[in-house]
Amino acid sequence: MQPAELIASIRAGDRRALGRAVTVFEDARPLAVHKRRELLSACDAQNLPPRAHVVGITGTPGAGKSTLIDSLISQLLRDSPHRTIAVIAVDPSSAQSGGSILGDRTRIQGARTSQRVFFRSQASSLALGGLSRTTFAVCRLLERLFDLVLLETVGVGQNEIEVCHVAHHTWLVMPPLGGDHIQWMKAGIMEIPDVLILNKSDQSELARRSYHSLRSALALAQPGFRSVPPIIRTSALTGSGVDELVTWLSDNSAKQDAAERQSRSRYFFQRWLVDEYGRAGWRQFEQQPDYSNVMALASEDFEGAQAKVTTALA
Amino acid sequence: MSHPAHVLVDKTGQPTRDEAWIFRTYAGHTTAAASNALYRENLSRGQTGLSIAFDLPTQCGYSSAHPIARPEIGKVGVPVNSLDDFHVLFDQIPLAKMNTSMTINGTSMWLLALYIALARERGENPRDLRGTTQNDIIKEYLARGTYIFPPEASLRITAEMYEYCLDEVPNFNPSNVCSYHLQEAGATPAQELAFALITAIGLLDQLRDRGRLDQDAFDRVVGRISFFVNSGIRFVEEMCKMRAFTALWDEITLERYGVKDEKYRRFRYGVQVNSLGLTESQPENNAWRILIEALGVTLSRDARCRALQLPAWNEALSLPRAWDQQWSLRLQQILAYETDLLEYPDLFDGSPVIQSKVESLMRDAREEIDRILAMGGVKQSIDSGYMKTALVRSMSERMRRINAGEQIVVGMNKWKDALPSPLLGGEDGGLFHVDREAAAGVLAALQTTLARRDEGRAQAALAALKQAAISGESMMEPSIECALARVTTGEWADAMRSVFGEYRPATGIDGQKLGLTGERVDSLRSRLQTLTDKLGHRPRIVIGKPGLDGHSNGAEVIAVAARHVGFDVIYGGIRLTPEDIARTAVEEDADMIGISILSGSHMELTEQLHGSLVVQNAGDIPVVVGGIIPPDDAAVLIKRGIRAVFTPSDYELIEVMARMTAILEENHAAG
Repeated sequence: MQPAELIASIRAGDRRALGRAVTVFEDARPLAVHKRRELLSACDAQNLPPRAHVVGITGTPGAGKSTLIDSLISQLLRDSPHRTIAVIAVDPSSAQSGGSILGDRTRIQGARTSQRVFFRSQASSLALGGLSRTTFAVCRLLERLFDLVLLETVGVGQNEIEVCHVAHHTWLVMPPLGGDHIQWMKAGIMEIPDVLILNKSDQSELARRSYHSLRSALALAQPGFRSVPPIIRTSALTGSGVDELVTWLSDNSAKQDAAERQSRSRYFFQRWLVDEYGRAGWRQFEQQPDYSNVMALASEDFEGAQAKVTTALA
Repeated sequence: MSHPAHVLVDKTGQPTRDEAWIFRTYAGHTTAAASNALYRENLSRGQTGLSIAFDLPTQCGYSSAHPIARPEIGKVGVPVNSLDDFHVLFDQIPLAKMNTSMTINGTSMWLLALYIALARERGENPRDLRGTTQNDIIKEYLARGTYIFPPEASLRITAEMYEYCLDEVPNFNPSNVCSYHLQEAGATPAQELAFALITAIGLLDQLRDRGRLDQDAFDRVVGRISFFVNSGIRFVEEMCKMRAFTALWDEITLERYGVKDEKYRRFRYGVQVNSLGLTESQPENNAWRILIEALGVTLSRDARCRALQLPAWNEALSLPRAWDQQWSLRLQQILAYETDLLEYPDLFDGSPVIQSKVESLMRDAREEIDRILAMGGVKQSIDSGYMKTALVRSMSERMRRINAGEQIVVGMNKWKDALPSPLLGGEDGGLFHVDREAAAGVLAALQTTLARRDEGRAQAALAALKQAAISGESMMEPSIECALARVTTGEWADAMRSVFGEYRPATGIDGQKLGLTGERVDSLRSRLQTLTDKLGHRPRIVIGKPGLDGHSNGAEVIAVAARHVGFDVIYGGIRLTPEDIARTAVEEDADMIGISILSGSHMELTEQLHGSLVVQNAGDIPVVVGGIIPPDDAAVLIKRGIRAVFTPSDYELIEVMARMTAILEENHAAG
């Protein structure tokens, strides 16, 4: 199928076409970058600019992320009759074989029933940062096709920092924790999230204690240049707190300002180049006379810059 | 006067012979009428109790008319839509004389209500009813998959059944704690002991903590707890396991619950001997396996089963025919009546070997029980996936040992060459064939019930049931009224679902590893890497179980093996519709779909899956199927375009993976 045709089919509701288009954005073969450019140009031609609010949802395994996302999606589908939602769920790969088992999908009812929801699983392919190497690229397509893109990532600590480079906002989901854990977490990801979600708040006593120690910990941890993120208490079991998340979403829309987009693109361009050619390759690239030209291109036309480097080094 | 030690004496000191255990055969299929005929036939041949198999829609709380139910009607058991079906099912079978075991879990309260309602309408006294509803929801979450409601609600339902039965149906066992399915899911003997006992502890703790029973009533409830146990091929160890069960149960009921009366502390159990170890290759050998496994639960008098049901020699091939079941029943009769087994006191008392083995099992089991109690108990260990993960790990280990030839399975991984079996001859090829036309009759009967019933009474009964579910009142009596008012199985379950919601569990496969190593694994991994480079992505396979059959072990092992060799596996779990699977494959842009079906509905479900794929422009995605699929059906499936059919004889996981990889390679080469 030609790019324009493929995009038109997606718009007409052809899920097979959408699934295949996403695969193009996951394609590791060097020449695939040209197909990606063509598809994005086709989007531009069909008046599909980036529009989605991209929200990263991260937290430890067992924090209840998937179930919470399930409740959130049901609520959003009920509240707004047209909103479309894409979910990318990243799970780790086996270091031994490179393979993976991706099971998040089973916990999202909307992924079985609603035509307004699209769900894609990704394996982390041993990449650090809780994301797959291609999550950013796939986002570049999905943000043109959906109103909301949710990125579910797995992991704890420093690894999670990556997600905030892809997403406009990041939510950190935590189960009720003891004080020791909170001390420990302060050092790592506490500076990242835009919202702290204390999930499983139906476990009331523990949740109440966690809430108060979190609040006092946050007051200390924030160095002052960022506002203290809100703590929202949720329970996927009883559904409480989910409406607060919906309200937060409508109060905080997508950040589409140019500077932010550009710095994000440059970040992932560097990451991609290091993945493909190694640190030595990156250092070599930095010495190239057209280094700053390519970086400038990367911030506007990510795939174009990739194509240029790929051709130069082919 | 005293007798020599080998003479069995009764309470008055007279030499005696034990009564035989109850002989049962797990049976039921097609329609209530067909099953009734089968039961009466079996009883006339000397069977002494009934063991009812229900079809999957009945087990999962759907009426036969529900779309997900249609392919499954009457397949693995009898369909029951309303009290009218129960009247047919038990026609000419006197309830008071029967001991009826029902393999029913998610809808156990409903089936008990139907049984009580049947007694009332037939003018029999419910107090005379004897039998068991299986109703062990924990093992449904772990292994069997016919749960409906979340754990909290399910445990409440079970508790209310105990509270009701204690005085109203005093000889009925409202639940059977099942270690059977734990063994099938891979449990070691110590795990089987620990997980079953921790389940019983969870149940009794809850009944105690609800505070609706005084100590006397609670002691009687403890006396109603019974177990359903598996007996495997390592029959000496299995016998020791049963002795360990008996001793541990006595210990727990005395120490944890302070039950003074020894008769309430007795470990009461029924057995179905192991079906998992039965082989598809050289199936006649299974007859010997069944015999040996029966010995494990009958030889030791102190740990002998109360009821025994044996599988049939050909269960790895298809559902058994009436003759196959008769052959197994004859085994029981010979063992109980021809041999001298029932004439002796316990044969193993005083054996230092047995005693030491029993103690070692008890030690391991106690450790595991304490570990789970420290985690917070059975419910927490379900929520956290602890038990499931432990089982999947044991199962992987078992598969590894068979694959590596460390565990010999005669005719399967050793001595594979054999003469053709004459048992597989005959017009039916030695297999049971379901009457595919009978479903229409079931649907017609359901329509008749709906047309004839008093609609006002049915709706009022449903409203009262919901009200009880919400308010926390007992749902037993409202359920009986629903039964009398000709409410259907689907309506009863839907009313409960509307209050409690539906449960979707954690899968147990996260973090599992297979110990498979060696050249063949390395070569497969490198083939998959080559494919990955060619495709531009790691091959993605969607694995799941369509339909209502919840036995997920096979699908899980395949998922773990596929990751082990380097696939990205999108695991969908159980109870999926063909549409779910097609949608998943399309959105994930899968390179292959693998489905597992053990219910006998493989023809219908693969057809539906193909239809859904075609609708979504995805008819080109290759589909492979695993399950208990007779060779004739397999040939038809291949003709229809299924790329490979795997059956229990394909136990070599690496071989299965190699065939799947080859299909992808062919596809890629063909462009």
